[in-house]
Amino acid sequence: QMALVQNQLLCSFSSCSSWLPQRVPLRGNHWQSSLLELRTSLPVRAQPKKKKKVDVKKEQAQKERMKKKIKKLEKAAPELIPIEDFITPLKYSESNRVRSLPALSPEESERRVLLLKKWSLFKQKQDEAEKKAIKALVESQQEALKELRLESEELYQAAIRRDEALFPFERDGPSYTPPLPGYDPPEGKCIDITKVYTQ
Amino acid sequence: SGAAHRPWRLFGAMCLLRLPRITQPLEKEEEEMAALMAQIELEKSHYSDHEIRKLEEEKQLKRRKESLYDEDEAPGKTVIMAQDLEEKWEQKFLRFKAAPRITDADKSNDRTSLNRKLDSNLMLLVKQKIGNQELWLLPQVEWQPGETLRNTAERAMATFMGDHIQAKILGNAPYGIYKYKFPRAIRTEDNVGAKVFFFKAFLQSSDLSQAKLKADHLWVTKKELGDYLKSEYLKKVNQFLLD
Repeated sequence: QMALVQNQLLCSFSSCSSWLPQRVPLRGNHWQSSLLELRTSLPVRAQPKKKKKVDVKKEQAQKERMKKKIKKLEKAAPELIPIEDFITPLKYSESNRVRSLPALSPEESERRVLLLKKWSLFKQKQDEAEKKAIKALVESQQEALKELRLESEELYQAAIRRDEALFPFERDGPSYTPPLPGYDPPEGKCIDITKVYTQ
Repeated sequence: SGAAHRPWRLFGAMCLLRLPRITQPLEKEEEEMAALMAQIELEKSHYSDHEIRKLEEEKQLKRRKESLYDEDEAPGKTVIMAQDLEEKWEQKFLRFKAAPRITDADKSNDRTSLNRKLDSNLMLLVKQKIGNQELWLLPQVEWQPGETLRNTAERAMATFMGDHIQAKILGNAPYGIYKYKFPRAIRTEDNVGAKVFFFKAFLQSSDLSQAKLKADHLWVTKKELGDYLKSEYLKKVNQFLLD
């Protein structure tokens, strides 16, 4: 009965419904999804609009707060990575760890001082010999280049050109004993447990 | 530059060095100093975990010997002591035999072998015919127009050692020069003498079985060079050789 009343009202006001038969109920608004349903609640239009505005504002405020927090964190200085070699673990500073050895006798300390003096002299002579050898090397090369220049400028230019293939220069150093032919080293796996820090 | 006629003939020579494979023995001062350093390090150090374990086990053993009640110390259970571990490690080390530092070639003084004098540099010497003399020299070859002197030296190396030699040549510049005048009989206006430019290279490959050595060759140390080279030549070569 309600629907029919509504129908008549709608028929009188809407112009598009003039060609439709009287009996078919019209769907005047989208709140009534099925044609046979009775409208049970009033269409609430004003409330959703308010929700949207407040939502948008709240969201924007939240975003700004997050951005400010991020900026604060970025401005703070980055945490320094600890150098593990410089921090002695506490278990090594316990008193039971201290070595008990007899004290140094005066003869021993005298011997040590004299040995250190002999060592510094030895190292000085070694260093001087090295420098002399390097100087002789450089002199010999300079003489060779001088003679080469007297011979031909073209060969000289080719000689003083930088050798690109020389560096990086790699060489394995000498060991105490020469490599044993046919030696089979024991099998094993090396697991790296170094801690990696990120800033 | 080919128009100007030069009175000197140019040669490129290669000084091929086999670098040392083992460390040189320590001098007396170095050994004394090494011992002192080890002693000071021991004095300044603290006990390690292994040493603490060893000390505690010694104390336990002492207590066991002195005390009469040793039943509460885990009867029937064999415990590995730190001392046992050390002995086990020592045994394992003694069982390993390293290669000898003084090789057979050293003992027999076989100068053609590369396995001699592993703690010093070895240089290649070849016997070449200069004029009408057979001389021991660093391998050398005459320079040909169109190549750099470094190429000449490489060619010299390849001529005497074959193509499969891996050597790292140290730069484009010569290391030394030996200048000599021809004897008066051969000397002319355009052919006064020769200049030999030396280049240095490090031998990379240790296996020379593939090398076809065409002439008599020797591998000698700096001290032994005097046995083979003439005095003037030796003086110039010694200048650019580091012992």
